[in-house]
Amino acid sequence: MKETIKLGVILMIITVVSAGVLAISNNLTKDRIAELEMAGSLESLKEIFGDSADFKPLDEGKLDEIKGSTPSVMEIFEVYDGDALIGYAIKNVSKGFGGDLVLLTGFNIDGTVAGLDVLEHSETPGLGAKAEEPEFRNKFVGKSTSEAITVEAISGATVTTDGVLAGVNEAREIFNNQLSN
Amino acid sequence: MKLSKILKDGIINDNPTLVQLIGMCSTLAVSTNVVNSFAMGMAVIAVLVGSNLVISILRNVIPDKIRIPAFIVVIATFVTIVEMFMKAYAPPIYEALGIFLPLIVVNCIILARAEAFASKNGIIASIVDGIGMGLGYTVALVALGAIRELFGAGTILGKAVLPASYQPAGIFVMPPGAFILLGIMIGIFNLARKKKSSSQA
Repeated sequence: MKETIKLGVILMIITVVSAGVLAISNNLTKDRIAELEMAGSLESLKEIFGDSADFKPLDEGKLDEIKGSTPSVMEIFEVYDGDALIGYAIKNVSKGFGGDLVLLTGFNIDGTVAGLDVLEHSETPGLGAKAEEPEFRNKFVGKSTSEAITVEAISGATVTTDGVLAGVNEAREIFNNQLSN
Repeated sequence: MKLSKILKDGIINDNPTLVQLIGMCSTLAVSTNVVNSFAMGMAVIAVLVGSNLVISILRNVIPDKIRIPAFIVVIATFVTIVEMFMKAYAPPIYEALGIFLPLIVVNCIILARAEAFASKNGIIASIVDGIGMGLGYTVALVALGAIRELFGAGTILGKAVLPASYQPAGIFVMPPGAFILLGIMIGIFNLARKKKSSSQA
């Protein structure tokens, strides 16, 4: 019994020290990681809405409410041209063939898709990975949000296409039901 | 044991990939090109040196019965540190290595060295062992990555070296090609090693 406690205490000391070291390294790196992620999103946002637009993260209370009903949503941005709200961009996760697809879909306030960017994916090179190329992504531009969005699939990569479509349509529903009104 | 021998053991006589055949999973998965192989090698060296150092320091404190969980905690800590810093300062490499970066935790090279070497040897020797084993892994990985990139994509370090008329052999980038190449590499390496040791004797 005594020995068991001794072993437990030693293991606990090791794990506590490890946790401390990890907390320190997390503190050293977290700002830069957040900055990089933000910069990555910002670049895509500019590609979709143009350089002159301004972007603000959605009000946190509202974002938490949306995340509560749709957990796959990661971030939502409001898009401004000067003072006028011109659209929204929704970053969410969908399932691809090789793993998670992180998508950023931009919507114009008038109810059309402004653009799509595939931020992260692990699809097969030469097949599903084509989803990140403009040739595929541009097929979404201008689609109306009033009905389910469909596009011609990437040949040989139906699962990837379905994953992208599922993510885009999920974002579309959030835009329709929780943002645009 | 002489330090130079420990180093040489890690790189040649006991090369983790080509002689001990451990850590195969990550070897096959990340060696699709030179850059990934090199980055993975560096990450493994960092973790291996760190974990060998700490485990060697703690070798008389950690009771035998709980050594495995203790080792795993130490290794996981180092892997997570490397992961965080890579994500912050080398994001393209972090993304290329993907799941295999956190999986260094269960890479058997690291646990094997902790168990077989660091828990029985002094601090300096353990650090040198970490460097040697890490370099051995890196060399094997980069060699494999170079061959796979050359024949699988016609490039080295992303630059085209084979004429455009060369039709890349996709199999080299796929896992089966990695298996075949690794087998050939292991064969050649061990043949050379055997010849050398018999000529010395």
